Amino acid sequence: MQTNELLNNYHVDPRTWDEMYSLSAVRPQYEGVVSFLQQMSAEELTKKEELAKRLFMSQGITFTVYSSGEGIEKIFPFDIIPRIITAAEWKYIEEGIRQRLKALNLFLKDVYNSQFILKDGIVPSDMVYSCPHFLREMHGFPVPHDIYVHIAGIDLIRDSDGTFYILEDNLRTPSGVSYMLENREITKRIFPDLIPKNNVRTVTEYPAILHRNLASLSPRQTSHPTIVLLTPGIYNSAYFEHTTLARLMGVELVEGRDLVVDNHRVFMKTTAGRQPVDVIYRRVDDHFLDPLVFQPDSLLGVAGIMSAYRKGNVAIVNAVGNGVADDKAIYAYVPAMIRYYLNEEPILKNVPTYQLGNPEEREYVFSNMNRMVVKRTNESGGYGMLMGHSASDEEIHRYQQEILKDPRQFIAQPIISLSSAPCYLNGELKPRRVDLRPYALCGPDGIEIVPGGLTRVALREGSLVVNSSQGGGSKDTWVLTN
Amino acid sequence: MLSRVADSLYWMSRYMERTDGILRMLRINYASSQDDLQNFSWKPVLSIFTYLDKDSAAAIAHQSRAVLQYMVTDKENSNSVLNIVTLSRENARSVQDHITKELWQCLNDFYHTIRDDQVVRGLYADDPISTLDVLIRHGLLYYGITDITMAREEGYAFLNIGKFIERGVQSAGILDVRFSDLQLDFARTDPSYWKYLLLSISGFEYYLKTYRSGFDARNVVEQIVLSANFPRSILYSINRLQLHFQRLRGDGNQEAFQRIDFMIGKIYSKVRYSTVDSILQQGLHDYLVAIKEDLYKVGIALNQHYFAYS
Repeated sequence: MQTNELLNNYHVDPRTWDEMYSLSAVRPQYEGVVSFLQQMSAEELTKKEELAKRLFMSQGITFTVYSSGEGIEKIFPFDIIPRIITAAEWKYIEEGIRQRLKALNLFLKDVYNSQFILKDGIVPSDMVYSCPHFLREMHGFPVPHDIYVHIAGIDLIRDSDGTFYILEDNLRTPSGVSYMLENREITKRIFPDLIPKNNVRTVTEYPAILHRNLASLSPRQTSHPTIVLLTPGIYNSAYFEHTTLARLMGVELVEGRDLVVDNHRVFMKTTAGRQPVDVIYRRVDDHFLDPLVFQPDSLLGVAGIMSAYRKGNVAIVNAVGNGVADDKAIYAYVPAMIRYYLNEEPILKNVPTYQLGNPEEREYVFSNMNRMVVKRTNESGGYGMLMGHSASDEEIHRYQQEILKDPRQFIAQPIISLSSAPCYLNGELKPRRVDLRPYALCGPDGIEIVPGGLTRVALREGSLVVNSSQGGGSKDTWVLTN
Repeated sequence: MLSRVADSLYWMSRYMERTDGILRMLRINYASSQDDLQNFSWKPVLSIFTYLDKDSAAAIAHQSRAVLQYMVTDKENSNSVLNIVTLSRENARSVQDHITKELWQCLNDFYHTIRDDQVVRGLYADDPISTLDVLIRHGLLYYGITDITMAREEGYAFLNIGKFIERGVQSAGILDVRFSDLQLDFARTDPSYWKYLLLSISGFEYYLKTYRSGFDARNVVEQIVLSANFPRSILYSINRLQLHFQRLRGDGNQEAFQRIDFMIGKIYSKVRYSTVDSILQQGLHDYLVAIKEDLYKVGIALNQHYFAYS
């Protein structure tokens, strides 16, 4: 049968952990999907794939690339085969993230107030003070409920033995959650009945939880606070996500030019005059938020918004200045933070990280470049990275010169192979490397993690970089109930 | 409602109304061009819906395919259907949280359809009417979805205000150009001239039912300016404009409301208490130009009092 061919031609690299196959047997969590795929021909699957593309296009789940004055609509590549996580794996991930976020929130509160962790020498002061995302403007200002990170998208990867590692803590304006929601909707359309048959937990509560958390931050005692989502505008590549979240939460989607600050209060300009704003879920980076405090030429933010924030007249989500906690160099100290603040052993492991600001570690990294990935501490999206195993000597040499100019701005990690998952590419099932980004929401009542997340996949053969800006795609991510 | 959102809804709607007007005009004129003994001229259509100067218009006035291309898919023509559908969709895109998902998807689909190469091929090499019909249908879908899914809130009021200002301006423009084309020669009896004019604004059947005695220029003026029941008449458009603007009463902004309400009421009275005779006495052209200007002034006032945000 042709379908068995589909599965028989699926060859896993024995040195990597595959989400679907262990040695040669199908993992139990994938049995439902595998037996479903066995009834499918390659043509049928290709049709499903085309349907998925059409749905993304017609629903406008796209981002616009502007070239020569003309907009071209692009789809964030979607792979139709879901990625599946067992209940046991999820429980472990959930506990690990909850613990980590608790510590990170305490760290942010500490570092912007008493700085015990610096005084006790757990995290070196120069690490914090040299971080461009450490904002003195936040010092000594009590944020509502002591929550700095309301929304986190923590990236996890799996090594060759299946162990989960934390790759990155995204604590500023993590994106992609709309793809978690939309990918699920698309799967429902292209594979009817498959989700109910497989006991997949729902992700649809995300907007409701987020909305409840946002409302709880309102500085005014009112039953209907005005919540807005601040977007950089329609030219932003995540604009679709901003509109989706605003729509699903029923909040106003605003741009910087819609807001005005008067007497340390934020208002939006409406057809009926000015209306006070209580909570701002902003998708604008810190440095563009307030031209009076940060980048003076920014048109994306609102002049005076930081003063309103510091007066406690408006809540900003996520808090300003979180970048100091998800800095790639500070990352290495998160396990120490967990021990320091919570007196617990970290549940989820860190990837070993070498500080290139430290001469001994730099020495070690330089002599083992081909096993290392070197990253800039303040870049994201897979930019400014060097993958040691695939770079030429020339590239390595040039990169080393860059490092020596300002070693604090770089870290190195041993290359983790990343687990693979089956992808349907050009009529065949192929293993491709994946990571996992669950979305955690912190509110006054605790931390909630919606069972699911965004699985990003490196669609290029052999690639270990899953970022969408580097040719990555995404998958629907299932968390099973049992 | 955010001022920016009201602005975007207003323009989204105006552009869609214009799209519908242009497409219908093109469809009927193309059909007419196939039925004409003389060399059919697109000059009136070009002067209503494009900004071409006399010479450029004259250059393509007798080439149906070139006109269709210019008016539907030309990227350089700021008023081409392609460009205004794109603008309408861009406006919709920035207010997705204020329109229904169905409405957004409808405009998004329209946008993807008109950018498809098939449209160019259809207009240039195939039967253009089939292609125009596909596009017109997208517009009708837009009207239907708006009617069925949009809540009767402030946003809906701005949608309709935009729609009926645009429609009033269009009807006045069409009538003006068609009659000045005749040099106000009311005695012209060629019935197909009136037939195609009425068809292009979907008013042919209604005319036949109302005026049974064949075509008369005075009746055409009456239907397009003064009919209370013809959905593209100037009176009807202003009546609807007034109705939907009333919805904004009590939403704060009292001063602005009263000022614009007065302006609209004045235009309405002017049209409501005109007759064909009084219009012709004043001069049809002057009358229509004055109405267009009044409507533009309402647009400017809305911009000042409701949409200003930067």
